[in-house]
Amino acid sequence: MEDCIRLEYDVDGENFASAGHASESVKRTLKQMGVSPASVRRVAIAMYEGEINLVIHAHGGKAIAEIDPDRIDIYLKDTGPGIADVDLAMRAGYSTATENIRSLGFGAGMGLPNMKKYSDDMKIDTAVGVGTTVFLRICF
Amino acid sequence: MTVSEFSKESGYAVFTKGEDREIETGYCGDFLSNIISRATDACAWLTVMNNVNVAAVATLIDCACIILCEGVEPDEALYARANSLGIWVLGANENVFEAAKTVARLCGV
Repeated sequence: MEDCIRLEYDVDGENFASAGHASESVKRTLKQMGVSPASVRRVAIAMYEGEINLVIHAHGGKAIAEIDPDRIDIYLKDTGPGIADVDLAMRAGYSTATENIRSLGFGAGMGLPNMKKYSDDMKIDTAVGVGTTVFLRICF
Repeated sequence: MTVSEFSKESGYAVFTKGEDREIETGYCGDFLSNIISRATDACAWLTVMNNVNVAAVATLIDCACIILCEGVEPDEALYARANSLGIWVLGANENVFEAAKTVARLCGV
């Protein structure tokens, strides 16, 4: 059995242009491993939403992917402002993104709902003023 | 119909080129989160959004091509990213509705 592959990315909070590099890299890795296109797509979407959240809300952070033959665990870690009301943040269409962010095509309030929709397990560990870690597990 | 055939038939501008795939369907939208969860692969994605994140989203959804509508042209960052990722970016002067009708008519989707 192949060992777990661990990939770690710094997500630059000031740079929208680099958002998506981590999910693109993980997507390429999974494709090379022969993971089914449907599973690759789920991972890419969930991870991209997480990356974008790090840029929009948390001034960046870390995206970590641990890949096993039958699943991937993703950790999105930041030391940003934290989420005051997780239930509200999970509601489709709710967003605290600014008008400037919306003009870039983000801020539809679908980030966390999409991450939940495309993952098999999702946990949010957050504290206001301390930061947030989102855990996602996607089984292939 | 493949993207290269479509670009010739439609007369749309070709900003960048990639793998020549069949256009199997279409999707219209500008909110990136909606697009990544709802657009299907091998689609022509019609949008007026013009920034570098469009290229990242196009890669995620595996669309056949991006069609920038209403005379929108890719900015430098989008052009560079689409070029390096090998993504077709076409340009239509029509609005999104009219461009969608062109995709439907020519591609039979």
